[in-house]
Amino acid sequence: MLILVTGGAASGKSAHAEQLLCTYAPGARLYLATMQPFGAAAQSRIARHRALRQGKGFETVERPFGLAELHLPRRYDGILLEDLGNLLANEQFAPDGAGDAAFGSILAGVAHLQDCCETLVIVSNEIFSDGMDYPPETASYIRTLGQLHTALAAQADAVYESVCGILLPLKGGGRT
Amino acid sequence: MTVLCIGGAHQGKAALVERLYPGLPLVRDLHRRVQAELAAGRDPLALLSELYGCAITCDEVGCGVVPLDPADEAYREAVGRLCCVLAARADAVIRVTAGLPQYLKGEQPCI
Repeated sequence: MLILVTGGAASGKSAHAEQLLCTYAPGARLYLATMQPFGAAAQSRIARHRALRQGKGFETVERPFGLAELHLPRRYDGILLEDLGNLLANEQFAPDGAGDAAFGSILAGVAHLQDCCETLVIVSNEIFSDGMDYPPETASYIRTLGQLHTALAAQADAVYESVCGILLPLKGGGRT
Repeated sequence: MTVLCIGGAHQGKAALVERLYPGLPLVRDLHRRVQAELAAGRDPLALLSELYGCAITCDEVGCGVVPLDPADEAYREAVGRLCCVLAARADAVIRVTAGLPQYLKGEQPCI
C-alpha cells in the first residue's frame, strides 16, 4: 500500500503520517530520513521529529538520496519516508545526487521501498502556491516536485492533505 | 465558540465569518499578529488565550518554497503551528476560496 501525505509548512503532516503508518503497520517500522542535518533550522526540525517518533518503535535510517540502491537489513511492515521535498533537493542539487535524472531516480527509489515493505507512507510538501517567480533551478525543482506528486498520487492507494493539523482525504482513505 | 477561517489572501474570509457568525468578536489577519509578535521578540503561541471565543481569519502562508531568510521561515512555521493548535481547539475550521466556505471541521450554521 502507498499513502501520500502532503501539506504546507507546519501543517501537522508529519504527525498524521506517523499516525497513519502506526495504524497500517502494526509491527516492524522504519523511519527513512532524507534531511541532511545542515544548519540550525534543520537541526531543530530533526529534533522535533525525533521527539514525535519517540516510543513508537521506529528504526531510523538516514539516506539523503539514491533510494533505489538502498540496502535494507530486513523487510518492514511499514516505512515512513520523510520527506519528498528534501529528497528531491538532495537528488537535484547535491554533488552526488541524480541531477537532471532526479524524477526517475526518485520513482525508482519509491518502487524499491515498496518492495521492502507492506505499507509505504511518503510525506511531502505543498510549495506551489506562493505566486513567486524563481530562478530556473528553483523553478525546475518546483515543477519536478509537482510532477512527482502527480505521478505518486496516481499510484497511491490514499492521498491526504494536512491543513492546520486536520487531515483531508484527496483520494481513497477515510476521513480520519 | 471559536471559529478559525483560513485561505489565500483576498478571498472574502472576514465578510464570510461576519455573515455566518455575527455574534462572535472578529480577529482579522492572524498572520499579521504573528508577524508583530515575532518582531517584538514574543512567542506567538501566547496569543492563544485571547483568541478563544472569537472568529479568527488567517491567510494560509505555508504553501510556498522554503524562504531563504530564516526570519521568513520562522514566521511561516509560527503561523502554521499556531493554526494547528487553534484548529484543534476550534469548534469550526473553514477554508475559504472565492468567498465560498469549505468546512474542514464542524458544520455551517443555519442562518
